[in-house]
Amino acid sequence: MTTASRTTTSTATGGTTVTTTGDAPRAADPIRARAADPPTGRTASTGSRILNVVRLQFVNRYTFLWIPLIIIVSAVILSLAIYWMIGSDSPMYGGGGQAPLWYYLVAGIQAMSLTFPFSQAMSLTRREFFLGTVLAAAISAVVLAAFYVLLGLLEQATSGYGINGYIVYLPWVWESGWVGTAAVVAALTMFFFLTGFWFATIYRRAGTIAVTLATVGLAVVLLAAIFVITRMEAWMSVLEFFTTLGPLGLAGILGGLAVVVGTASWVTLRRSMH
Amino acid sequence: MTAVIDVENLTKRYRSTTAVDDLSFRIEEHAIYGFLGSNGAGKTTTMSMLTAQNFPTSGSIRVFGEQPYENARILSRMCFVRESQKYPDDFTPQHAFHSARLFFPHWDEDFAQSLISDFRLPVRTTIKKLSRGQLSAVGVIIGLAARAEITFFDEPYLGLDAVARTLFYDRLMEDYAEHPRTIVLSSHLIDEIADLIERVLIIDDGRLLVDETTDDLRGQAVTLTGSADQVDRFIVGRELLHRQSLGNVSSATVLGTLSDAELTDAREAGLERTPVPLQQLVVHLTQKNRNGSSGTGSGAESGAGTRSIESSEART
Repeated sequence: MTTASRTTTSTATGGTTVTTTGDAPRAADPIRARAADPPTGRTASTGSRILNVVRLQFVNRYTFLWIPLIIIVSAVILSLAIYWMIGSDSPMYGGGGQAPLWYYLVAGIQAMSLTFPFSQAMSLTRREFFLGTVLAAAISAVVLAAFYVLLGLLEQATSGYGINGYIVYLPWVWESGWVGTAAVVAALTMFFFLTGFWFATIYRRAGTIAVTLATVGLAVVLLAAIFVITRMEAWMSVLEFFTTLGPLGLAGILGGLAVVVGTASWVTLRRSMH
Repeated sequence: MTAVIDVENLTKRYRSTTAVDDLSFRIEEHAIYGFLGSNGAGKTTTMSMLTAQNFPTSGSIRVFGEQPYENARILSRMCFVRESQKYPDDFTPQHAFHSARLFFPHWDEDFAQSLISDFRLPVRTTIKKLSRGQLSAVGVIIGLAARAEITFFDEPYLGLDAVARTLFYDRLMEDYAEHPRTIVLSSHLIDEIADLIERVLIIDDGRLLVDETTDDLRGQAVTLTGSADQVDRFIVGRELLHRQSLGNVSSATVLGTLSDAELTDAREAGLERTPVPLQQLVVHLTQKNRNGSSGTGSGAESGAGTRSIESSEART
């Protein structure tokens, strides 16, 4: 193509006049944009773009780092206050340790409803966004799991902070040592995150009614399971199943569920519009 | 010219409406396009599909010769600045610019910093708390500093005051002169961007109405300015698009061209040719299209002409 054929554009806006001719700008540093051009050397590879999505998710460190830690520390402090008020010579166990999981449900929803539109503005593909986001959540889950292990070891060493109060060091979870605990925490975190992500993706693609129907559907399935177990008077065997399963087995099942929910999320996201 | 975008028979249907109806056009490299049309004409939907954020019902899109959907190689060469962009919770403008630096290969940090100070944008306030104009400034800065090979600006000026809008136009032109690239600017403020754009695409009801250079489009009409009597004499028998009067001086835009003889005549009558207001031309073409498509024929067309006289006179 010839640059000479370009018309001269003269523009006057707000008093400044910029005159552009076909040749002058090309001599400067033209951004190459020809149809036949191979990707420029500055175009990052898909792998590094996925890693950049992880960095994007950690640009604001609160989302995946500080808030989960703040929540678990707060849960520990609140539980300790309660234990201290009760006071007991035998070990006290509480469920405060689950608190960060609910946050991951919200984090999953927000990763979809807010970060996905932004990732589109950053010209990312859905695949890059999904893989980078799952990787970011996984890093966050590993950090949280490590923190649980450290807290558990602390509870063990101090005999429940000196007041027999246990939040993280639950005997059944620690049956297989710190590895089992870490696995359960990480798998649960991913499961909650991906569940939130999936529901937000369904919402984006199909709206409120679809999310409501999916939630009701899930409730019906759970209720049916409870009904069947109760009718068959099988609660004992269910408990037995989980006892023999052990923490590593449980982590495996949760991990499998997370993979199922994650795959469903990807299938839903792939054709989801901005 | 080399086409960087090639669209053929692009159609997008939702359950009850057709947002984009059989669009075919090409976008050439290194040019500034005005993408014009009324609200709901299908501008945003089209740009969403070109950037693979939305999916066509049928038709084909080629960007740099390739299909853009899930194509990182192609997408990373484009930037789409939306009018209602969402940002991650608790993000500040600084977070947004930091992210943009990660993903746009031509990102110019110095340019971004100078734009931040030009727009007086508070970079440490969360985006949720910014005013509408400041929110627009975040998008504008990303769009300019990214220096993507193809940049789409979808109504980028919402909430920006006249000073900030002029700043945007000036910076865009200055930077475009140094780093030529393809820019697609969708806007309602047609006269404001008229001097920026080299080519015009007008869509209405999802259909392509006009695909021309700005000069050719302006060539479809003539604006004459001079004494009201002489202007009146000249516009007799022509289709009037727009008329303004101030005291005894009038300015009228009529459809069609003037022959050399008519031009000489006009000059002798003390009439001056001034640039055609693009906005009036676009309004006229859109109205004509709507009357035409409702099948009422030429009677309605001249009716539309009369209406535009009335409305323009009411405004002056």
